[in-house]
Amino acid sequence: MKSSRLKISVIIKLEPDFSEGNVSYNSDGTLNRAETKSILGPHSAVASMAALNAKVLYDADVSVGTMGPPIAEQALQQSQLLCDADELHLYSDRIFAGADTLATAEVLRAGIDKMHNGEKSDIVFSGHRASDGETGQTGPQTAWKLGYPFFGNVIDFSVDVENRLARVTRLVPIQGLYDVIEEIEAPLPIFITIHPSYKPTFTTVSQRLSFFKCQKEARDRAALYKNHLKTYTAQTLGVDPKLVGLPGSPTIVYRVEKIPRAKTSRMAKIIEGSNQDQIRAVAKKITDMIKVKEI
Amino acid sequence: MSNISQLTSTPDPKASNEHYRHLYVVIEQEEGNLLPVNFEMLGEARRLMDGFNLRYSAEEKVVAILLGNEMRSQCDKLISYGADAVIYAENPELTYHRNPVYTRVISQIANDRDCSKKISARYSEEFKRPRFMFFSADDTGRHLSATVLAELESGLASDINKLVIDDIELKHEHKTKGQVEKYFKTLEMYRPDFSGFLWTTILCLDNRHPNNMREYHPQACSIIPGVFQPVEPDNNRKGVIVDYKATLNTDDLRVKILNRRIVKSPIDFDSHKAIVSFGRGINDSPEENIALIDTLKQELGAEVGVSLPISKKPYNISNSRLSAYITAERVIGTSGRKVAPTLYIAVGISGAMQHIAGMKESEFVIAINPDTNSPIRDECDVFIKGRMEDVLPILIEELRQQKAMVEVRS
Repeated sequence: MKSSRLKISVIIKLEPDFSEGNVSYNSDGTLNRAETKSILGPHSAVASMAALNAKVLYDADVSVGTMGPPIAEQALQQSQLLCDADELHLYSDRIFAGADTLATAEVLRAGIDKMHNGEKSDIVFSGHRASDGETGQTGPQTAWKLGYPFFGNVIDFSVDVENRLARVTRLVPIQGLYDVIEEIEAPLPIFITIHPSYKPTFTTVSQRLSFFKCQKEARDRAALYKNHLKTYTAQTLGVDPKLVGLPGSPTIVYRVEKIPRAKTSRMAKIIEGSNQDQIRAVAKKITDMIKVKEI
Repeated sequence: MSNISQLTSTPDPKASNEHYRHLYVVIEQEEGNLLPVNFEMLGEARRLMDGFNLRYSAEEKVVAILLGNEMRSQCDKLISYGADAVIYAENPELTYHRNPVYTRVISQIANDRDCSKKISARYSEEFKRPRFMFFSADDTGRHLSATVLAELESGLASDINKLVIDDIELKHEHKTKGQVEKYFKTLEMYRPDFSGFLWTTILCLDNRHPNNMREYHPQACSIIPGVFQPVEPDNNRKGVIVDYKATLNTDDLRVKILNRRIVKSPIDFDSHKAIVSFGRGINDSPEENIALIDTLKQELGAEVGVSLPISKKPYNISNSRLSAYITAERVIGTSGRKVAPTLYIAVGISGAMQHIAGMKESEFVIAINPDTNSPIRDECDVFIKGRMEDVLPILIEELRQQKAMVEVRS
C-alpha cells in the first residue's frame, strides 16, 4: 500500500572518535587507527538530528542506512537514538571493501532505493563530510545516481507537503571573501547535506510535545535496535559486483608517504619559557608591532 | 617540470586509438567575478601541460570552462593566465551556481566532440572526453566535481595540493589482474590527509582486468585554493574562445534561487593585526588554557584561529567556549582559511603542513610549544619553549606592563 506520509532517508557513517580520551595519535602526529574507537560521525549525527526535525514537524517516516562492516550497526543504533528511525539498513559485504566514493555511492543508491518498502524517498539527508576521509563527495555522488537534485551546506529547511515543495537555506562560504546565504525552492525529492552549524528548533508547544514523544520512542527503539535492522549484501541489494568495492572503483591509492617538511623559511630564535627577561623582550616586540597609531 | 621535458618516453602502444584529450579546468565565478583559485588552477594546468606538450604531444590544450551571464569579457583574462581555449556557456539561467543545472551543462561540454574540434582539429574525430579535469576544492567546487564525475562515471580525488603527470607501472589485483601493466600519461594526485602529516597519491585508472574492462576518464581532481601559483598574466597570449549553447533541462530549472544575501563572517582574520591560534597543546587543561588564550586575545585585540584537529571538538569544555572558539570557521590551513597578519602567535600547534600553508605569509610568527622538534619551529621567528600553562601567564603579565609603560609615557 502506498503511504502518503513524507519519507525521509538518512545515510550515515561509522568514523574514528576524535574526542579526548578516545582518539589516539602516533608520535609523528598521524592517527593511530588501531587504538582509536569508532562512533557515529559527528556530521552523521547532525544529519540524524535533521531527520528527527522532519519527523517532529511533518510526522515523517525515517529510514537510516550505512555501508560498512557488521560493527557499523553501532552507528545505526546511535543514529536511531537521535532520529527515532523506523527502519535501519546495514549494507555489508566483503566485496564492498576498499570502495572509493563512486563505488560507495553505488551501494548507497541501491540501499536508498530499498528503503520505505521500495517507495521513493522524499528527502535524503547526509552529513557534510566524514571526519576521516573528508572528501565530501559521497553525498553528492549518491544524489546524482538517485537522480535527486543536490543541495550542500544546508542550515535550514521546510517542506510544503501538500504541494511537494521544499525550501532550503544554504550557507556557502566564498573563499575568503564573504559568506552567501541562499534560499532555494525545489520540488521533492531532494538530497541535502546538512551544515555542521545546523540546530533544530521547536517553537510551538505541540512541536515540543511531539519532540519529547519521539525522543522517548527513540530510546525504546534503540534499546532493541536489532528489531528494526535489515542487513543487505551485494546480492540482496541487487548491485552489479563490477560497480562496487575495489572492482568498481575508478581510483586507487597508489602510495602513502610522510609529507616532507617544507624548507625552513624562517630562522627561529629559541627562548626558554621560564626566562622572564626574554619574554619581556618578546612582549615589547609584540607591543611595538601591533601599536595602534594615535592621531 | 624540467625532469618531464628531459625524459624521453617509450611510445604508448595504445596512443593511436586514444580518445581522451586535453586538460579541462572548471572555472568558478561569484557574482560575475573570477575567484583567485581559478588563476591558481590555470597556472598549475599550464605548467603541467607545458611539460606534457614537450614530452607527449604538442596538440593537447589547457581548456577553461566558464558558465555565466554577460561574462564574455572575462574569457580573455583566462587566456592571459594560461588557457589555450575557453568554452563559454552564456545564459541568464547560468548567472548563479545551481548544482543540478551546472552539473548537466559541464557534463555536456565534457562529452562534446564539436566543441573539441574548435579547440584543436587534430584529435577531434576520436575525441570522447577530456583526459584530465580540474575543479576548485571549496564547498561549491567539491560538490560540483562529485556530481559531474558521477555523471561521467569516472574517478575523482579531492583536496589536492601536488600534481605530477608521468608513465607508471602497476600490478593490481583488480586493475590489471595481477599483471604488470604500464599506464601512460597518468595524473598523480597528491592529497594531504586530515592530520596534515600523510600524503596519499591517488590515481584514476582504466580497468584492464579481462573480466571487468572499463575506461575511467577524465582523471579528475579538486584543487585546494591558495596552493598553486598563477602564471604571470600575458595579454599577448593567443587563445580560442568557443561560445557554447547549453541545452538546459526543464526539470533542473524547477530548482529556483528565491533569495541570495551576502553576509560578512563574524570571524574576521583580515582586519586584525594579530591572530592567536591554538592546537592540541591545550590538551592538559583545555578549559583553563582557552581562558588564557582568551585573555591574550583581548590584550592584543587579536582574532582567534584553531588548527584542524581542534575543530573536531575533541574536548569536554563549557558550551560558551565551545561555540565561541571550537568551530570549523576558525580553522587556519588548507582545510580552512589562509591568513597573513602582522603577528601570528601559534600556541600549542605542532605545525602540520596543512596548517603551515594557511599562515606562512604572516609577517612575524611566534610559537609557544614545549617540543623544539615540532615542525612549527622551522616556520617561526621566535620559538618560546615551554607549556602554554606556564608561558602564557608570564607573557600576558609582561604585555600588561608594556601597555602601562606606554600609557605612562604618553
